[in-house]
Amino acid sequence: MSLFNQLLINGIIAGAIYALVASGFSLIYNACKFIHFAHGAVVAFSAYIAYYFFSTLNINFGFSVLFALIFACLLGWAMNHFVYKKFRERKASNSILLIASFGLLILIESLILILFGADVKTINYIEVAKGIEIFGAIITPLQILIVVSSAVIFIGLFLFMKKTKLGKAMRAVSNNKDVAEIVGINSETIYSWSFIIGSLIAGIAGILIGLEQNLEPTMGTSLIIKGFTAAIIGGIGNVYGAIIGALLLGLAENFGIWYLPSGYKDAIAFIILFIFLLFKPKGLFGTKREGDKE
Amino acid sequence: MIEAYFIHLLILIGIYLILAISLQISMGFTGMLNLGHIAFFAIGAYTSALLTLNGFPFWFAFLSAGILAMIFGYILSLPIKKLKGDYLALATMGFSFVIYAILLNWTELTRGSLGIPGISKPSLLGFNFSSNFTFLILTFIICVICYFLIRRITHSPFGKVLESIRDDELASKTLGKNTSKAKSLSLMISAFFAGLAGSLYAHYITYIDPSSFTIMALIPVLCIVIIGGLASLRGTFIATIIIVLLPEPLRFIGFPSSIIGPMRQIIYALLLIIILLYKPKGIYGKVEIE
Repeated sequence: MSLFNQLLINGIIAGAIYALVASGFSLIYNACKFIHFAHGAVVAFSAYIAYYFFSTLNINFGFSVLFALIFACLLGWAMNHFVYKKFRERKASNSILLIASFGLLILIESLILILFGADVKTINYIEVAKGIEIFGAIITPLQILIVVSSAVIFIGLFLFMKKTKLGKAMRAVSNNKDVAEIVGINSETIYSWSFIIGSLIAGIAGILIGLEQNLEPTMGTSLIIKGFTAAIIGGIGNVYGAIIGALLLGLAENFGIWYLPSGYKDAIAFIILFIFLLFKPKGLFGTKREGDKE
Repeated sequence: MIEAYFIHLLILIGIYLILAISLQISMGFTGMLNLGHIAFFAIGAYTSALLTLNGFPFWFAFLSAGILAMIFGYILSLPIKKLKGDYLALATMGFSFVIYAILLNWTELTRGSLGIPGISKPSLLGFNFSSNFTFLILTFIICVICYFLIRRITHSPFGKVLESIRDDELASKTLGKNTSKAKSLSLMISAFFAGLAGSLYAHYITYIDPSSFTIMALIPVLCIVIIGGLASLRGTFIATIIIVLLPEPLRFIGFPSSIIGPMRQIIYALLLIIILLYKPKGIYGKVEIE
């Protein structure tokens, strides 16, 4: 039983991390309706910025986190403003935006490689503490922090989307851009805000991952794969669905390595992605996509 | 020295040209946003390397590389039949990640991240292509054959069916064309030539490991296809030369080799974004990506 509990807890921790990536990704998809691969690069870059300020410049941890988050927001905003906006102006198709965002992902990852080198980095803020035993499973304080802060962020995100004017405007643009514009919502402003907020969540994800795992320049690619797989499981364009999808993915991966060598962890995500694309492309909680032909 | 360098560049151009025109079949002519093409290249490279290391002759390994890639193309075509646009892109990309995970983890067969060293240079009918110059001749001959075969296929009535699928699949169906069969064939042919390119690559570099076949490796090929223009073989030829030669000056500026790799990726990624933004049809292309 203890192995089961351990895998369950590992799955929930992995799921919490994926959910942070997936919710930001899904938020941006909701507003802009295209697959923003470079979201993974925002996660990776903000983790590296936190590492740089904290471990290299020896700045107070709180300030390092603040700088990294500001940087994440700026990076997300800049990608939208200087790249995606130009594409929208010339009415580029979703597929073109997808390839462009793929280009951005590779661009930023290569930049990280040049700036920080290929060797693995760690942010040593919280020392590896002895795990606490719960029902025969080990969980470290840091992992509890990850799960708790994810939960807080999701509640915050939920309230933001439901209660604030900006959140409501975002949902309006997501539902029907043209009607939203008629009632006076500027869709470009909403796109900018969804990139800023989505990237903020990505920044938080980056820092939490950076505390828990090692930093690698290519971490963005593997995280965004998990992110969009989770988003598709949950129903793309549904932020809450993405969170549930992420938890399911985290659990599936961790229970999957019960049977398969752990190297196949990433492949499990893709097999699930395939199954959903084939049999349930709208995901568990998804609604029909705008622009779906058939 | 300088001759050896030029021969090396010409061989690379040849291998990339085969890979890029093979991607043109599925992406340019049929309009499938195929981001998993590098997996077929990988399958070809590993098949050929493993077969020759186990004593099979080069010609057999070379053809098997294409055929096995083609079989995988067929397998991939089954689940993605109904997918379009960004979902198709995700699924094909997923396929390449699964293949990558298998290459990395099936260590009994592929030696995992250690890679396969000591792949022999090809020999055909008693003639050994061990020097780079003779290898260039072999690459050139294979390249010309592939180019004209693909030209023949894409200009045939079947090629026109593929183009009709790209432009309007429903209309094509209405005219009684079996579009899902045509798409599957297109992916298979595309995979076949990518497998051949993979075989040539393995026997030229003589060492392969999974890291050469990540999604990063797709960027230059994607660049070639988009810069050359969808469904334009002539454009692909010119774009291949541009893309292979473009980052070469980096070598002479004197950057350390750890910087050159990422710099090259940055150049390709920037170029890809700029072309998509300002000249989305590429040099000779007739259509845009839908």
